[in-house]
Amino acid sequence: MGSSSSSLNNVPDGQQLMQETGFSAAHLLRLYERFKFLDKDNRGHLRSEDFEAVPELSENPIGDRIVGAFFLPGQETVDFSSFVRVLAHFRPTEKNRTRAGAQPEPANSRNRKLKFAFRLYDRDRDGKISRTELLQVLREMLGMQVTEEQLQSIADRAIQEADLDKDDAISFDEFRKSLEKVNIDHKMSIRFLE
Amino acid sequence: MAALWPFPLLISESLWACLALTLPDGYPEPHNGPPTAGFNYSHVDPSVDQPSALRVFSLDYHHVQAPFEIVLWIMLASLAKLGFHWSGRVPAIVPESCVLIMVGLLVGGVIYGVRHSAPPTLSADAFFLFLLPPIVLDAGYFLPGRLFFENLGTILWYAVLGTLWNVLGIGLSLYGVCLLAPSSLGDISLLHCLLFGSLIAAVDPVAVLSVFQEMHVNEQLHILVFGESLLNDAVTVVLYKLFESFLRLPSVTGLDVLVGGCRVVVVGLGGLFVGLFFGLVAALTSRFTFRAQVIAPLFVFLYSYLSYLTSEMLHFSGIVAIVTCAVTMKQYVEANVSERSNTSIQYFLKMWSSVSETLIFIFLGVSTIQDIHMWSWPFVCSTLLLCLVWRATGVLLLTAVVNKLRRNAVTFRDQFIIAYGGLRGAICFSLVFLIDDFPKKRLFITTTIVVILFTVFVQGMTIKPLVELLGVKRKKRALPTVSEEIHSRVLDHLLSGIEDVVGYWGQHYWKDRFEQFNKKYLRRFLIGEHHQTHSSILRVYQEVERREQQGVEETPPAVDAHSSSRPLLPEEMDSIRRILSRNLQNFNNKQMPAYSRHTLHQDLTTDEMRKPLHRHQSLTERCTYHTITYCPQRVDGEFSKSCRGRARLSRSHTVCSASPRWSERPDSLVPAALNHTQPSDPGPAEEEQDSPQRRTQIERATKKQLSFILENEKPL
Repeated sequence: MGSSSSSLNNVPDGQQLMQETGFSAAHLLRLYERFKFLDKDNRGHLRSEDFEAVPELSENPIGDRIVGAFFLPGQETVDFSSFVRVLAHFRPTEKNRTRAGAQPEPANSRNRKLKFAFRLYDRDRDGKISRTELLQVLREMLGMQVTEEQLQSIADRAIQEADLDKDDAISFDEFRKSLEKVNIDHKMSIRFLE
Repeated sequence: MAALWPFPLLISESLWACLALTLPDGYPEPHNGPPTAGFNYSHVDPSVDQPSALRVFSLDYHHVQAPFEIVLWIMLASLAKLGFHWSGRVPAIVPESCVLIMVGLLVGGVIYGVRHSAPPTLSADAFFLFLLPPIVLDAGYFLPGRLFFENLGTILWYAVLGTLWNVLGIGLSLYGVCLLAPSSLGDISLLHCLLFGSLIAAVDPVAVLSVFQEMHVNEQLHILVFGESLLNDAVTVVLYKLFESFLRLPSVTGLDVLVGGCRVVVVGLGGLFVGLFFGLVAALTSRFTFRAQVIAPLFVFLYSYLSYLTSEMLHFSGIVAIVTCAVTMKQYVEANVSERSNTSIQYFLKMWSSVSETLIFIFLGVSTIQDIHMWSWPFVCSTLLLCLVWRATGVLLLTAVVNKLRRNAVTFRDQFIIAYGGLRGAICFSLVFLIDDFPKKRLFITTTIVVILFTVFVQGMTIKPLVELLGVKRKKRALPTVSEEIHSRVLDHLLSGIEDVVGYWGQHYWKDRFEQFNKKYLRRFLIGEHHQTHSSILRVYQEVERREQQGVEETPPAVDAHSSSRPLLPEEMDSIRRILSRNLQNFNNKQMPAYSRHTLHQDLTTDEMRKPLHRHQSLTERCTYHTITYCPQRVDGEFSKSCRGRARLSRSHTVCSASPRWSERPDSLVPAALNHTQPSDPGPAEEEQDSPQRRTQIERATKKQLSFILENEKPL
């Protein structure tokens, strides 16, 4: 396959991305090939139609949210670095990593993962998951199986449990607290991306 | 004092049993267990019964001997079990299997003392054909499916490779020991050692279950040990038969070994397919049982047993077959069959497997009292030692490899428990009796018994303190909150989506595919139309609302979105949790209760939850789906009849016949619905049904039901 560094040159900003995200060269190459595969028209960037072409993703209840998470606010295209930066959240967390205080938090830290998940809910980016936003997610997941009343009840209870400052919305800290018993590293890591 | 009263009962029972066994003169040879005892007596009767004068009172024991003895044994087993649970502090220290073996020893000793000959032993046929299947069926039916399949790779790894490692290791080392002591052990060949190794290396599901159920270790560990003990049957059976046939062949070539290797695969897969086949047929049959619901449970048992017998006939692995059958048919049967039948199935399974297990252990004890023991210190001790050593090293090595591939590593403490929890049981015992006779067979039998007793007693009794000592991660008692459930599901979907984007198969891919296949084809085909349910969220929500109405707080149900300030009842939490975990595609549900023999109660709470739910479901769903088929005339009389007793509900499906009227005339519906739902709305425990407050609340509930029904008709 040739030495990894020479093929890495084909990847735009390869070295920098490796540093930033912690992906190995081999992984970065694989992701680049996947990126090119998804980019059917060879534009160098992905649009939402390219994501929707992934068949399983369209059947995923929150598929469009996931797709939306790749796009930075206001942008209509995803270039390779944004693609990789989003996927960097899904690397397994390295344990016992000591980092100097000045370094930015790595993308696959628990906090960053939770932030990513939080943004799935909080589409308007106001820092809180409002009742309507929660209801939307629930509706997408439970679909036609439940009546509106029951959805409301489930959303009620979820907010009731998590909402500590009683503002009828879930802030990021409340979100994080409600998930403190869940093994986020396990739930949000794709093992072969390490 | 409570500890003492069962024992006189027990002793009298055993004396009675011994007396019964000593009565007949022509008792069949000790090899036949009770089930086969009856056949010799049919032609003895005429010669005995020749009354010379008319008698007022006569005793004809021979006529009923066989069933009588069987019942006595089962009675003994059950009383022993009862006594065990009543005996104060004993259950905390000694596992049930130990006590049962001790009772068996006692009874065996008494019989031996009375008759001066060996007591009846457990015949291999009786064991494999009658006593083992109920236990394995029970295990398979209550297997925590998702956990099992998540860990399937690891389980197979331990079962196949671990057993191979153990067999070869023990066999070869024993041969080495025999070579070292040629004077006493010289006539044991390599093949004999390998044969012995193959039967002694197998971890026994019965023993494992009975010990682990009393220890509440985390589910992952439990499923690993238990799954391994189930699946290594395939390997054990093949190796045993292989070495046995090698012993009969004049010489063994490499080709034979290769063929043997293929046989392992064939045996395992064959059992799997037989089980799948019968499972699907059973599911299909259960679809049509709604007209004769009383015999629905029978099909479950018949088909499972048939799958076991068929695969035994074809020399496949019967255990794999019956487990596969149970796992396959469970979800469809549960959906197809009425709630009472489900309960019957579960209760019968538990009961039979309990009795079987108890009988097995008692017979183990009884059969230990034998004339045919042969003792040899080096052989026995080295076998014991080698079993432990090889199991430990095997587990260590295999885990080291498999941890690299797993997300949740098997910790060192877990490994210790896996290695230490490798108990041997009745399977080895029966297998050793089946060996063709050769000079040292008695030595093998003795050694097997010693190993079994050692593992069950020593390892069984000390594993619990050791677990506590090592602080093995215990089962998490806390149930997840609603938020956790929701967010977990969202994260699962997220991960699945990301995996799709990245384009590699993740753990979720196959699960998703199977679920899609299941929904599209299997469920449509195997579940009757009137039971196709799309979600249980609804049912459980109705349940939750109902409980709100009858709950302690007596506040109106939270229709209004902002009225949710009261604390949640634990049952509601439970039901919501259950909704979410059952409904949303459930990938990593680690909070399943661990399978254990005596926890039908635990299952019952889920069933109690589900009973009214299924009731609701059956009421509402049947109503929606049966609008066309049932004529509306049979309504009112049947209503009161069918609503009063669940029993009748299963026979008459006329509850739903109201539905055509429901959609047409909504005003008269509410009182009708009131009558109809009122007795069934409150759960089995509620009495006061006539308070006006309750009526209004029930009205609201029925309105919700109505809205559900009307809404639910739309997507159809």
